[in-house]
Amino acid sequence: MRKKLIKKQAKYESTNLGLNLLISRLQRKYSANQTPEELKNCLQEMKAFFEKYASIMEKDIEALKKL
Amino acid sequence: MFIDLDQAIKLIQEGRVLHIAADDSLLKQLPKGKWIAGTTPYFITEQGGITSKDRLFVNEIACAVDYKTAVYDKNNVFDITKDSYPNGMSFLVIPFASDVAVFYAKEAPNSNDLLMNPTVGWISGFDLSTNSSAKVYDGVTGESYGDKAVALHICLPDHKIASLGIVNIFDVDDNDIKIEFEEDALSVTKCLVNGKEVLFSDYISENKIDTQLPLVADYNSVLINVSIKSISEESKTVDFYAPVFSGKEYRFARPVSNYAASFAEHLQEHKGTKPIFSCNCILNYLYGELEGKATPPFAGPVTFGEVAYQLLNQTLVYAEIIDK
Repeated sequence: MRKKLIKKQAKYESTNLGLNLLISRLQRKYSANQTPEELKNCLQEMKAFFEKYASIMEKDIEALKKL
Repeated sequence: MFIDLDQAIKLIQEGRVLHIAADDSLLKQLPKGKWIAGTTPYFITEQGGITSKDRLFVNEIACAVDYKTAVYDKNNVFDITKDSYPNGMSFLVIPFASDVAVFYAKEAPNSNDLLMNPTVGWISGFDLSTNSSAKVYDGVTGESYGDKAVALHICLPDHKIASLGIVNIFDVDDNDIKIEFEEDALSVTKCLVNGKEVLFSDYISENKIDTQLPLVADYNSVLINVSIKSISEESKTVDFYAPVFSGKEYRFARPVSNYAASFAEHLQEHKGTKPIFSCNCILNYLYGELEGKATPPFAGPVTFGEVAYQLLNQTLVYAEIIDK
């Protein structure tokens, strides 16, 4: 599901400023270099972000699973 | 809190961890201690906007269980992410027009780690009616800088976490003309207007665009402003206070007739917010004539640029400490 988000095939708007900036940044990053390796890097970055902020992002994590 | 010099000195001598904003004439009188500061004579207090050179705006960071300060230049400013605490927040103050400010403005959105560590702050300024310059202070050493940034890294208790937010009173009409740029830049000559290349300065003058209105881009529903600093009719360059980026679509913001009323409207949804820090832009203060007008629950310095991870323009920025 997070792949779709990075590829701009899905849209998700959070109330968290950091997450919105991250999504925008990863979309731009992947858009400039559309390779499996870049996608993997973007997914790892998103994973690290969610791990760090898991305690305040339960809603976002659940919502993203449903995309 | 908006306090006089003696009160600020007392807080420092009590060993409090502080973020301070004030005119340089006051900052240079402060004793060494656990603080950082930046220069500005403009504030929005709980009583309203004010220009003052005899009071200081002080945020006590009482939630910090540990702290450290650091000074950065453009060669190492992104070490801020390495220096920050695993669970903490960093306050960053950068002098206006310094190399480090320009570098941070352009590169922060491309920094891999910046979003992993809440960084909030501002660009320090000066009295616009004088020929002063902006400074920052590292209170631990007592040193001031016009060409370096200073950070206060704080460590939070395990059950707390920092959260940053912004209030942007500007919005756009999605059907309005789309403006794009071909490179990341703080200064441009050309742009694409609905896909057609034009001289941006000519486009602005021919269309009588109010340059007090920022360009606005959508960052996944977060509207990010880029304010126009100046236009040179001679060289046909348009300079910005923050960079524009290739691959982003910009539109000029809709006019705002009453800034104070617009802030009041946007602040309705922040009644429960308990900021430990906030700042607002000098352009909002000046264009919006916010002198004497308050923006509850937010009070703080009026700044020459705002930092919420990356550099922002014409935006109110705030930090909260919330339960995990």
